[in-house]
Amino acid sequence: MSLKDIVSPFNAWKRAFEKPDTIVKPLSEREGSDLYRGFHINDIDKCIGCGSCEEICQNAAIDLVDVASVKAKPGDSGLRPLIDYGRCCWCALCVDICPTGSLGMSNDYTWISENSDDFRFIPGIDEKKWNRSEKGYRRSAESWLVDPNRQHMNEIEPDKRKKNFDEYAEGFTDEQAMAEAGRCLDCGICIQACPTHMDVPKYINAIRNKDLDEGLRIMYETNPMLEACGRICTAKCEDVCAVGHNGKPIAIRSLKRYIGDQTFKKKDEIMDLKPAASTGRKVGIIGGGPAGLTAAFYLRRFGHAVTLYEQHDKLGGMLKWGIPDYRLPADVLQREIDFILRQGVEVKYSVKVGKDISFDQLHKENDALFISVGAQIGSDMPIKGMETEGVYSGVEFLEKVAKGEKPFVGKEAVIVGGGNTAMDATRSSIRLGAKAKILYRRTEQEMPANREEIREAKEEGAELKILSTPTKIEKLPSGRLKIECLKMELGEPDKSGRRSPVPKEGSEFYIEADVCIMAIGQKVEPEFSETIGLKVTKWGTFEVHSDTLRSNDKVFAGGDCQTGPDDAIKAVAAGKKAAYFIDKQLRG
Amino acid sequence: MKELIERLRSKFNAKNIKEQRKNFVFITVEKKDLEGCVLYLKEFEGYGHLTLLTALDWIEKDQFELVYHLHNYSNKTDVSVKTFIDRKNPTMVSINNLWAGARVYEREIKELFGIDFPGCPRVNDPFALEGWHEIPPMRKDFDTKKYSEETYFPRPGRYTKDNVAQMEEQLYPVEAEVKNGIAETVRKK
Repeated sequence: MSLKDIVSPFNAWKRAFEKPDTIVKPLSEREGSDLYRGFHINDIDKCIGCGSCEEICQNAAIDLVDVASVKAKPGDSGLRPLIDYGRCCWCALCVDICPTGSLGMSNDYTWISENSDDFRFIPGIDEKKWNRSEKGYRRSAESWLVDPNRQHMNEIEPDKRKKNFDEYAEGFTDEQAMAEAGRCLDCGICIQACPTHMDVPKYINAIRNKDLDEGLRIMYETNPMLEACGRICTAKCEDVCAVGHNGKPIAIRSLKRYIGDQTFKKKDEIMDLKPAASTGRKVGIIGGGPAGLTAAFYLRRFGHAVTLYEQHDKLGGMLKWGIPDYRLPADVLQREIDFILRQGVEVKYSVKVGKDISFDQLHKENDALFISVGAQIGSDMPIKGMETEGVYSGVEFLEKVAKGEKPFVGKEAVIVGGGNTAMDATRSSIRLGAKAKILYRRTEQEMPANREEIREAKEEGAELKILSTPTKIEKLPSGRLKIECLKMELGEPDKSGRRSPVPKEGSEFYIEADVCIMAIGQKVEPEFSETIGLKVTKWGTFEVHSDTLRSNDKVFAGGDCQTGPDDAIKAVAAGKKAAYFIDKQLRG
Repeated sequence: MKELIERLRSKFNAKNIKEQRKNFVFITVEKKDLEGCVLYLKEFEGYGHLTLLTALDWIEKDQFELVYHLHNYSNKTDVSVKTFIDRKNPTMVSINNLWAGARVYEREIKELFGIDFPGCPRVNDPFALEGWHEIPPMRKDFDTKKYSEETYFPRPGRYTKDNVAQMEEQLYPVEAEVKNGIAETVRKK
């Protein structure tokens, strides 16, 4: 035994009078480390009640519960997570999955209560001393379990695609679809935002399970125009997508298109729809756009006989005449319509109700009528020169394009308006060989068109002239148009919350162009409304009961002719709703 | 540290060298070199303290990762030696003869991951779990949620709401009725 071995125990005594490392009670002074995973905190305003925390919790420690101070609203279920600390193992998976980043953990872990129920509480709602804690665990970009980046479809480059009307977005490959579907949290916040409330998480899940047949069946439960919607839907679902709060929303529309693209060849086989037993009731539908076609499909599923009256020689409505081929190819639309017709829908083409056949006759012949004539007339601007040759309305121009008439656009086209119709007219004029200039009276931010439509129009060379409005159009001796314009300024916000444009005095300027396309809005054909004698609103749309779309006795109306010009998916929702309430009425 | 890394590279073919901090390095060696490597670090490089021995389950690569964390008291540096072993036949040489404390770690890993360390005393005795009949709980294919649902009773008065149903009820009851009524027509056989 060495001397060291004998002396060393006494070394301990040298610390006898130092400050001890141990801590005297109370323990509150001893703070957890900065990244400590202590009791949860939740930013209630940021949280959207998506339930991802509940879903991922491996100990079933989290419940989504009602909270008096939060109400459900679009994009937010109004529910908030309640955590049971008898089960929580502090693993922080709930924090790492949280799409909004509202959920975190404080570094507080010392708290004593004799009542075990106190250890079940709603972070952020129930007052706790750590609620405003800045310290503790938060998810980092690295630890986030969600991939913030979305898959992009392959697209033909702007310089090539602007030369023809071919579809330029190629659709997802299997790998892209699988990767994109894998980003979905399956939370279902999007379902409310969809006008027809499609079961988005269910069909995305079908992609993950490689069961696209089931995906197709899920989609037909809510939307028989899914192939069209997979290409041109305004995708309100993506606006509220939980992943969109801190990353790019799931490409829901592209996934919908993927299922449609992969299954259309075997659609009859997959859907395997046996005709429903006939009820002996007859329903007439006026207008074969998305609303009318959807109503026809589901009314047939209920077993009612359906006759569709269409003023054109082809069905599809605005999807056919208003949306150019490069966004929605005619054959895609046609195959989808054909499937609906195969359910046994009788169609009277080129029949204008009120002219070729009287409304009263239809009223007599049918047990119920659904009016879905759309808003097909382009609105005029109250300015001089609207009747000048070379001035088109947006819908009139697009209809000519759809018919393959190649309307004259010359070298320079001016398009007035900022909606999707304006973008369609712009990009169509470019494809017909013109340089396009868009006049819009507000700024780009206020444009109602989809952001990607605006971006793609610009990519194809469209010039955007904001805060400008035409005031007069004249024909020059050269045959070109002289468009007198005024500069605008943004004033106070109007009812829609957008700042209204105010003309700037003395700011007149002129532009020359070969054609001018007015895409400033559409309205219901007034002559038609007069013929059928239904109540109309001051905007000229049909007045119906908002819950049932019923007008009076057996007449229902829906789609653009009831809402004013809007998107296809809203028309689909209206057609579906009409079918349901017509069926209810017919069954008594 | 640089020279040490070079020596480990040449002697034990150390790979994936990651200098976490200037006094802390991660290296990876092959399974067969692991024992020699930690022995060398202990006896010749002054890494006399086994701070930690732990495991990770890389189920998608069909491998377990073992991490041996060593500390050198004299120059206050750390070396973490990692190795990967086959997940189907998870056996690793025991280092309990180098550090007696390794027995505890190896017994723990045996219980939580099911990795065997033949020759380690009492390695098969229960460590923290009592009466465990499931697959080792730290394996990725252990379904924690299923286990907790089956094992622990739900607290009385607990309820949870489905966010989709809640939004239907609060925001669009009529459309939800339409949706359900219509969906049946497509499913009906």
